[in-house]
Amino acid sequence: MSEEPRVGVFVCHCGLNIAGVIDVEEVTEYAKTLPNVVLAVHNRYICTAPGQAEIRTAIKEHKLNRVVVAACSPRLHESTFRRCITEIGLNPYVLEMANIREFSSWCHLSTPREATNEAKKIVKIAVAKARLLQALETIEFPVTNKALIIGGGIAGISAALDLADMGFKVYLVEKSESIGGHMAQLDKTFPTLDCSICIEGPKMVDVSRHPNIEIISYANILHVEGFVGNFRVKVRKNPRYVIADNCTGCGECRDVCPIEFPNKWDLNMGVRKAISLPFDQAVPLVYTINMDHCIECYKCVDVCGARQAINFDQQPEEIELNVGAIIVAIGFESYLPYTDHQYGYGKYDNVITALEFERLILAAGPTSGKVIRASDGEKPHSIVFIQCVGSRDVNKYEYCSGFCCMYTLKHAVMLKEKYKDDIQIYIIYTDMRSDFKGYEEFYNRAQKAGVHFVRVKLENRSVTEDPGTKNLIVHAETEGDQPVEIAAEMVVLANAAIPVQDAADLAKLLNIPIETDGFFVECQPKIRPSDTDIPGIFLAGACLGLKDIPYSVAQGSGAAAQASTILSRSTWIIEPFIAKVDEGICSGCKICKSVCDYNAVQIEKTHEKELAKVIDGLCRGCGTCSAACPTGAITMPLYTDAQVIAQVRAALEEVM
Amino acid sequence: MPMKLVKTESENELEVERILHAKRYSLTLDRNLCVGCEICKTICPREAIEIKIVPKVNGEKAKQPIIDVDEQKCQYCGICNTLCPFGALKVRVDGEHVISVVKTESFPQLIRDIEVDTTKCDLDCVECEKACPLEIIEVSVRTPDGKEVSDIAKSKKKNVSVHVDIKTDLCPSCRLCEMQCPEGAVRVRKMFHGVMKINQEKCPEGCQDCLDVCPITGALYLGDNEKVHVNELYCIYCGVCKLVCPEEEALELQRTSVHHTPVRSGAWNKALEKLTSTTEMTKELRAKGSMKARGSVEKRLAYKEVS
Ligand SMILES: Cc1cc2nc3c(=O)[nH]c(=O)nc-3n(C[C@H](O)[C@H](O)[C@H](O)COP(=O)(O)OP(=O)(O)OC[C@H]3O[C@@H](n4cnc5c(N)ncnc54)[C@H](O)[C@@H]3O)c2cc1C
Repeated sequence: MSEEPRVGVFVCHCGLNIAGVIDVEEVTEYAKTLPNVVLAVHNRYICTAPGQAEIRTAIKEHKLNRVVVAACSPRLHESTFRRCITEIGLNPYVLEMANIREFSSWCHLSTPREATNEAKKIVKIAVAKARLLQALETIEFPVTNKALIIGGGIAGISAALDLADMGFKVYLVEKSESIGGHMAQLDKTFPTLDCSICIEGPKMVDVSRHPNIEIISYANILHVEGFVGNFRVKVRKNPRYVIADNCTGCGECRDVCPIEFPNKWDLNMGVRKAISLPFDQAVPLVYTINMDHCIECYKCVDVCGARQAINFDQQPEEIELNVGAIIVAIGFESYLPYTDHQYGYGKYDNVITALEFERLILAAGPTSGKVIRASDGEKPHSIVFIQCVGSRDVNKYEYCSGFCCMYTLKHAVMLKEKYKDDIQIYIIYTDMRSDFKGYEEFYNRAQKAGVHFVRVKLENRSVTEDPGTKNLIVHAETEGDQPVEIAAEMVVLANAAIPVQDAADLAKLLNIPIETDGFFVECQPKIRPSDTDIPGIFLAGACLGLKDIPYSVAQGSGAAAQASTILSRSTWIIEPFIAKVDEGICSGCKICKSVCDYNAVQIEKTHEKELAKVIDGLCRGCGTCSAACPTGAITMPLYTDAQVIAQVRAALEEVM
Repeated sequence: MPMKLVKTESENELEVERILHAKRYSLTLDRNLCVGCEICKTICPREAIEIKIVPKVNGEKAKQPIIDVDEQKCQYCGICNTLCPFGALKVRVDGEHVISVVKTESFPQLIRDIEVDTTKCDLDCVECEKACPLEIIEVSVRTPDGKEVSDIAKSKKKNVSVHVDIKTDLCPSCRLCEMQCPEGAVRVRKMFHGVMKINQEKCPEGCQDCLDVCPITGALYLGDNEKVHVNELYCIYCGVCKLVCPEEEALELQRTSVHHTPVRSGAWNKALEKLTSTTEMTKELRAKGSMKARGSVEKRLAYKEVS
């Protein structure tokens, strides 16, 4: 746009929000005196339909080619006015907002004179920039209408099913052999005591049968590239030594396999065969040989016979996925309190964690549902549950793990209802948290069932053992410093839930931030609870803060809905705020690359030199590279050096 | 309770355990039975067994090597248990002696083939008992109701018979009893076959370390030339001699076959190959005609058949 700038200034009263303090007449008259301003008017509400119509008419009549709207914050109405001026044929980026409401009338309520002067200055600055505005083009990218979900727990499963039902292709990448996550390890779920796998199992099967979902299990994310609508993700499928397509899941190989090894799924309390499934309801129903334990007797090969599903030569396979959106739902892990010596975990046979207890009471678990002590295989007659082990501890994990109070109530109720007066249950707690639908009622149910609740301080709790009987004594102190001692034949620890070990690595691959406590960070905790800072990458479930199943399911669906707002478009438009490199000036020093937080700068080799190149889709327009560039080769199109300097000049000149 | 992998050692026993909340596995090595021969180490599919040579102290006899088991690596498959010629290793699950590879027919058992025709026995002969270097034969004279007769002279006329109790599980089939029996009542078939040679030129004069550690009396002996000679009639091809021999090429030991129960198993083929040689292993495979197993082994081991 090389023609002479013809600036129109539109001053808004915003009812009395602006005009009640600022002399809009004076501001308008002042605007008329500024260079290149050919029109200045004021209006009660410029954002209304008649207000916008006035702008369009003025543009036409006065041949305006730059527009300044002196009104509210650009966050509120910049897009409104951009749209408005395009309707009459102007480029949307020849608009500049002068925020005289938030920056002047609202903060100088009692000093109208100063407010008016300030408003004039803000208008002057805006006009100074407007004179230099250039028409810019938005950037459009095609969108790949497929989604990647990382983590096949209940949050990932919910997200996958919702997106697939909307018609999008979904890749569900799961690190372990089966999807299901923690929920598949649980016996019953609070507060309804539904059988966990009975409600999750059918969902897992739905996932495996859904024509739009491809499960990629026993796999790791290796590399992520690209940006919203256009991610390229490299995934490694680890060898199962079983050909998935040929495996019928019959289990004959498992039956003939001579080798048993500790089953991680059972938290090493029970065993599985060297060729086996982690649990009967595993999805996909494909067996895996664990080469750390196999002795290669080939009995499985023999019995598999004509099905030929076993291949000892299978190699890891790398595949590349192209997706438009990514949902991260990698859940949590459990802190094992080996180093919290006071609880005796790892030292005393009859001290276990809550998740271990969950496997113990589960009918399909390693003891077929019998709650027995490791020391003698006997059923305990008294169990003490200790809350907040590792959680709410400034020296370990400062946060509350969220679901422990409820699962402990669940364990207590299940034991009481199963063994009645044959078992005494004590819960050593500091605060009982039961703040969700039906949870307080469940707390009452536990109290009515005869569970003993003992309120103690978080500090000075410990467990000792009688080496003869292997019985335990739990020591604690009440709020009033009275010592408490409870004898128990078994102790169950509500150990902290912690971020997944490789969460930090994944965060790095995706370039999304993690909190100091290791959980992922949502972009805005209240109104954008499943967005990350990176467009197109969303979060769900316990990986961004511990939450129970209903909340994880809801968040999975929420993230799916968010992702669908991208996947449902054929193109994704970004505003032209992204950095531009002048190849003639760039010296290839790479400083820009080193300061970019979004991996948006690449160094490209031409035959003469190395040059910085900005990947449009990744650039967030923050301007850091532009500020850091020693040769001034990088321009921010919405904030060029010339524009910014003009604004600074205008700001420093006295307003007459 | 989290899983525990434990190793306990005493003078007579080494035990490794895998203790889970709901199951307990153990492997015990009876040091009194173990001769340190390396067969278990050779065939362990998880390389969980190590052997330590005991350094020789000047002026003292050479000592048998010492076995160590890595509790982190042991899978309690029981292969060592089935193949130990001396019965020194035992796998238990929840206290019960269970050899899972045998139970699932994934591995053969050694055939310890010893027959004694006690009808030929002389009532006061105990030659076999005396001959057994491992002291696992007990000869007794019993009445028909099984009572042991202490004074044979007195009861000579009565209706008594000779009983020869052999702890077959612990017998490495050296044939000493067979050879010493004056009546030809004992018949022993060897478990391991092979060739054992002592290269007299390489054998250092005055050294008899191999002889010191050999568990079978008479399998090795000192010849007139002050060097050790082998009597293959008694040799069980356990190989402990080779472990302590200071001269690399002085002792040549090559097993050729193992007497075992029939089985189709990749793990066995591999074990057999390590115990004998690729040629011998292929021979056995060919004999069995199990082409498929052979194919899979060849694929795994990536070698061409040796003709
Ligand atoms: C003892 C105990 C009892 C509980 N009882 C209840 C109850 O009764 N009711 C209730 O509502 N809640 C209960 N909870 C909480 C419940 O487990 C969680 O709310 C739920 O599991 C969260 O689901 P998720 O999908 O976010 O995470 P997870 O269940 O942890 O699933 C995450 C999945 O992601 C996978 N993954 C991890 N890292 C990667 C990676 N890098 N790449 C790919 N995949 C990865 C994991 O393998 C896993 O499959 C209990 C928790 C515990 C510890």
